[in-house]
Amino acid sequence: MAGKPVRPTSAIDQTRRMLSLVTYLRERPGARIEDVARAFGVTEDELVSDLDVLPMCGTSFRGGDLLDIDTDGERIWWHNPAALGADAAEPLRLAADEATALLVAARAVATLPGLRESDRQALLRATAKVEAAAGEAAGASSRLSVTFESEGGVFADVDRAISERRRLWIRYYSPARDEVTEREIDPIRLVSVGHTYVEAWCRRSEARRTFRLDRVAEIKILDEPSAPPEVELRDLSEALVQPAAEDPEVVIEVGPGGRWVAEYYPHDSAEELADGGLRITLRTPDPASLKRLALRLGRDGRITAPPELADSARRAAREALAAYDGIEAVAAGRAPAVPVGPAVQDGQDDRQEQTR
Amino acid sequence: MAIAKAERLMNLALCLLGTRRPLSKRELRESIEAYVEAFGPGGGAPLGPDQPASGSDDAFNRMFERDKDDLRELGLVIETVESLDGEVGYLARRDSNRLPPITLDAEEAAALGLAAKVWQQARLAGAASGALQKLRAAGLPEDVDPYEAHSALEPRIPVHEAAFEPLMLACRDRRPVVFEYRKATAAHPETRHVEPWALECWRGHWYLAGFDRDRGAERVFRLSRITGKVRSRAGRFTAPVPDVVTVRETVAGWAGETADRSALIRLRAGAGYPLRAKATAVRELGDGWDELEIPYGHGLDAWLVEFGPDVVVLEPAELRADVVDRLRAVAKG
Repeated sequence: MAGKPVRPTSAIDQTRRMLSLVTYLRERPGARIEDVARAFGVTEDELVSDLDVLPMCGTSFRGGDLLDIDTDGERIWWHNPAALGADAAEPLRLAADEATALLVAARAVATLPGLRESDRQALLRATAKVEAAAGEAAGASSRLSVTFESEGGVFADVDRAISERRRLWIRYYSPARDEVTEREIDPIRLVSVGHTYVEAWCRRSEARRTFRLDRVAEIKILDEPSAPPEVELRDLSEALVQPAAEDPEVVIEVGPGGRWVAEYYPHDSAEELADGGLRITLRTPDPASLKRLALRLGRDGRITAPPELADSARRAAREALAAYDGIEAVAAGRAPAVPVGPAVQDGQDDRQEQTR
Repeated sequence: MAIAKAERLMNLALCLLGTRRPLSKRELRESIEAYVEAFGPGGGAPLGPDQPASGSDDAFNRMFERDKDDLRELGLVIETVESLDGEVGYLARRDSNRLPPITLDAEEAAALGLAAKVWQQARLAGAASGALQKLRAAGLPEDVDPYEAHSALEPRIPVHEAAFEPLMLACRDRRPVVFEYRKATAAHPETRHVEPWALECWRGHWYLAGFDRDRGAERVFRLSRITGKVRSRAGRFTAPVPDVVTVRETVAGWAGETADRSALIRLRAGAGYPLRAKATAVRELGDGWDELEIPYGHGLDAWLVEFGPDVVVLEPAELRADVVDRLRAVAKG
């Protein structure tokens, strides 16, 4: 699952950082560790480990001096800045990967529909300046692009409610139940991982919940102040839904045409079957929410456990078929349908898929 | 104790940046402590009695080449110069390594600060912070914390696919690749030979666009379906790279968002909010049901089946037959 770097990046990242650090420190005698760490986006410990290495470095060729840099734990002192010639301490040009990483991210953030207009303008100006400064190194950045998805109006309201610390009223669509419910929520933060979500304290369920913005049918900022209880922020980057060990287990057997289920549903195991299919085992606090998946799979798979879930999908299909009895008679004699693979549906659940 | 790699790379960088004339490999080996410690002085210098014979030259050469590659990776332009007597020397000239003047105001700096944090992939996260650090060294304002003073948004670019990094490098360097790819509905992967053009992240998933050599045409691949390793192939691209590569349009086409027809359905009152949100026309029938006209594209049948008995397809007959067919498969169990 996790994309492992193919080589350790730490020595390269540290070297890159130290090269910028010498330029930076040369201009700022007595810089505070705290400030430098923040400016460089590293922890104070990481910065201190750089400061341990720097005194071993220098243009030592033919008797050049080592950099005499030390710290009293609070400030950083460089006693022989002349050890590095003025032109050896100039800021370095951007590498192709650096330009790509920064420009692609900046262009992606600029596409966020809910971004404040002043922030977007600042970002576009900055992007143009960085492109110009990067020169040729910016070229490869067109080979990578990212689009964030979010609902502009909803986003702007949530963003405003967070900064003004106000409560929100929403009508929210839950695909598991196919129903729209009204709730009051105290928003905590916005998270964009593919789709954009608001993490909030839901006053109806009295629990922390994440809401996908494209499922918010209606939104109002209330006058009441938002008062979410103090909660520790989780790292939501891996999966927004984190099933608990005690959640009931669901087993889904799919044929080759249903293998996409393993891509969209976080699962405990996916066992290869002889026919090219998979037996997928996952846990969910609410197995009934998977009835829609069972219906969607059609002949490409079925739920084998728990049996109540399999039964409820069968019953729903039979009930649905009954409505066609009259209509089908008209269409009798028509050739059987060609099965079509599953497809992405906008605004649908994460069980999206496409064939080609 | 072996000297840490970062210290060795830093010294090599400072030597190459600080010199005005090309330095030979021997000079670098003798003046950088980490090389001396690991390999002893090279180039015919006398070895101590406990030093192995100069078989360490090969090892030094290998390390030196790797170190130069690493420094180039972080943006250093290192020139190789051959002198009149045939000796090769190296230097990093100031004018080819200097960042051109760039002035950013506090707002622009804060916006870039937010952007530099969005990558969740180690290599790109490191590169983005490296870029920001170089800009900081060049005087980028730093008194604004992007999270405190600006939006409450925390955008993240997810990269879970192992194939991402090798494909990113192959796109950058325009190198052909080969990988095993399992199509959505196929049980077994097949080998695909591809000239990779561009990667795009859409709705949280990464896609590769490129020229498929076996099919002789442009194709789009989803990274999560690449199984096993992405391997590089020697040689150049054989097909021209288009000026504009459109990944999203292709994926949206698979996704049924290029609907060109419309369908008529009956929907139970109160149910199927997303269908209503997409409907082009809604008529209340008054008997607990509504009649909706909705766009009909690829995959609509599978979506409609999800609503079970709350949806009845009226037209077209083809869609109705597909839905009935799917329902029968589920009803049989």
